[in-house]
Amino acid sequence: MSMLEIDDLHVVVDGKEILKGITLSIPAGEVHAVMGPNGSGKATLSYTLAGRAGYEVTRGRILYRGEDLTALKPEERAAKGMFLALQYPVEIPGVVTLNFLKTALNAQRRARGEPEVDALRTLKLVREKATALKIGEDMLKRPLNAGFSGGEKKRLEILQMALFEPKLAILDETDSGLDIDALKLVADGVNMLRAPDRAMLVITHYQRLLSHIVPDRVHVLAKGRIVKSGGADLALELEQRGYEQVAAA
Amino acid sequence: MTALALKLNPSADLFQEDFAANSGDLPGAGLAWLDERREKAMDAYVMTGVPNRRVEAWKFTDLASELEDRLESTAAGSAPYIDEKVFGVAEGARVVLVNGILWDVTQAEGLEIVDLGKIDAKTPDWVCANLGLLASGPDQPMGAASLALMRSGVAVRVKASGVLNLDFVNPPLARDAVSHTRILIVVEQGASLKLLQSHSGAGTHQSFANIGIEFVLKAGAQLEHVVLQAEAATAIHVASIGAVVARDAQYRALYAATGARLSRLDVNIHLDGPGAHASINNVAVPGYGIADTTTVMDHAKPHTTSRQLFKSVVGGRGRSVSQGRVLVREGAVKSDSHQLFKALLMSPRAEADAKPELEIFADDVVCGHGTAIGALDEDALFYLRARGIPEAEARGLLVRAFLEDAISGIAGEAVHDALWRKLDVALAAFDGAET
Ligand SMILES: Nc1ncnc2c1ncn2[C@@H]1O[C@H](COP(=O)(O)OP(=O)(O)OP(=O)(O)O)[C@@H](O)[C@H]1O
Repeated sequence: MSMLEIDDLHVVVDGKEILKGITLSIPAGEVHAVMGPNGSGKATLSYTLAGRAGYEVTRGRILYRGEDLTALKPEERAAKGMFLALQYPVEIPGVVTLNFLKTALNAQRRARGEPEVDALRTLKLVREKATALKIGEDMLKRPLNAGFSGGEKKRLEILQMALFEPKLAILDETDSGLDIDALKLVADGVNMLRAPDRAMLVITHYQRLLSHIVPDRVHVLAKGRIVKSGGADLALELEQRGYEQVAAA
Repeated sequence: MTALALKLNPSADLFQEDFAANSGDLPGAGLAWLDERREKAMDAYVMTGVPNRRVEAWKFTDLASELEDRLESTAAGSAPYIDEKVFGVAEGARVVLVNGILWDVTQAEGLEIVDLGKIDAKTPDWVCANLGLLASGPDQPMGAASLALMRSGVAVRVKASGVLNLDFVNPPLARDAVSHTRILIVVEQGASLKLLQSHSGAGTHQSFANIGIEFVLKAGAQLEHVVLQAEAATAIHVASIGAVVARDAQYRALYAATGARLSRLDVNIHLDGPGAHASINNVAVPGYGIADTTTVMDHAKPHTTSRQLFKSVVGGRGRSVSQGRVLVREGAVKSDSHQLFKALLMSPRAEADAKPELEIFADDVVCGHGTAIGALDEDALFYLRARGIPEAEARGLLVRAFLEDAISGIAGEAVHDALWRKLDVALAAFDGAET
């Protein structure tokens, strides 16, 4: 079954067309990468998939597990099993990380008609996942992302992904701002979540993340269009020859 | 006097008339010291009358245009009230004022409480020595009026340590009315007081609570002051606070305003000795009316410190006004002050005015300030929603997060939770408010 089916997607932001006809299909169990130079529309694609206001779909459609997403709010998409790991996770002083995790988890469960989990059970769930990502209890007690290092923020994103168990995970430039060790930690976390009933879309500028998270398919995004698709080795080719040459070929 | 010319219609001044007609019948009339202070206060008041926008310190808040012409004085025991025990703090003494008139006193060990409505020649010396010296000058005209026309109030003295619940309850009135009430608190050397002050009300008539509050903090004294102003939507509320903070004494306050058509906190803190410290956290959530907190932080002596944090969340057609004037007097070296003004505007018609002001006449001082007014952070809102939290809940979470640092860290959990109960109600009403 196709987890995500993007068909001739056109997106306008502030009156300007940024995505100009993207077509892309990710079957369950696969990891696809979208690579593109600065300004090619990567962030626009991920925000559009997550349903952010201001990203207007003017043509085409997005099907998630066969359902048209266009009219759904971000929170509805999340409850249906979509997850977007942000390039820049937002700092929210005044909201304790653990409370946020519990609130989000329960909001999703409520929307799906599932029973809520209490604070103790949340803590247990979170602890299980946190250890692998080297996230200590003290971090969970701090305000959400406030004063977290770049690596800590990204690890917390992956922790959320593990906690919410999405069907479709979109990772937007998850490698940005990570040193080698943190990159490995994050990639291991993502790899652990690869599963036959889960699809992932890894959006990145650099090849280096993709030598840790080896994708099934790679798509090259340039000026709002997918200009080339191929296997995992396309990423290496991009790294060696640069976007312009590959896109032109 | 030139200031008189500011008044629109001086002949119709309600409070001057009241004073002329009734000063001989006010509590304590005939006590020379009090008569003199009341007259001086009336003179101070007359310089501006009820302030309008042309009085600089009131330029955002036109009290004159909000007051009806005819306001009668409230009478003692005029209405039944619901005893809410707002803060849920059982310990300590309790003073209840109904429509500005002292109704009930529950004494507690360590506090001396005097009824100012029955002030006479037998009144203790510490009252005569202090009453009416603060919050009664021309810079606090409504405070001056509250002294000149004082009908009721209490004076409290703390020699060691104590808790005082001070509840102003304003049940519905049968007609528009005004009350002038004075509170005097003297915290003796090294003593400490936790003062939990609430204002709650109901009804549809205009009630104008005009309150003057004096704090005398002797050397090393500590006063923790929590105010929850949750008046009825028709109420007008003006509280003028004057404080003298002596060497090594500390005044720590949290003011929260959720109600009233117009509220004005007019605060004047005099840091009067090395080591004196004042911190004020102000939280206002107007959803329809004007919530004004205006402070003057007077660093009169060297090595004095002050911290002020103003936070407003404004909904509907509400307006918050936050003004902080910091004055560092000549010779007050090593003064250290900081003020931060932050406001969240939750509707297109909401407004926030913030005005920091610095007047520095000494060298080697640190005075900082910052201002940030804006809408909820869209990035944060999207982040929470993308994690499955519905929009309304996400907004609520962010608003709470915005206010929390101004509310935590004072007076313990019961008070914290009580404040949030009232704030949540006020914030929830935003959605239904006209925008
Ligand atoms: N609100 C906007 N109004 C006009 N143009 C915009 C707006 N937002 C984005 N763009 C433009 O759209 C293009 C794609 O932006 P996007 O952020 O999606 O690119 P990206 O591939 O994520 O870039 P990077 O790798 O630099 O993060 C850029 O040229 C950008 O300037």
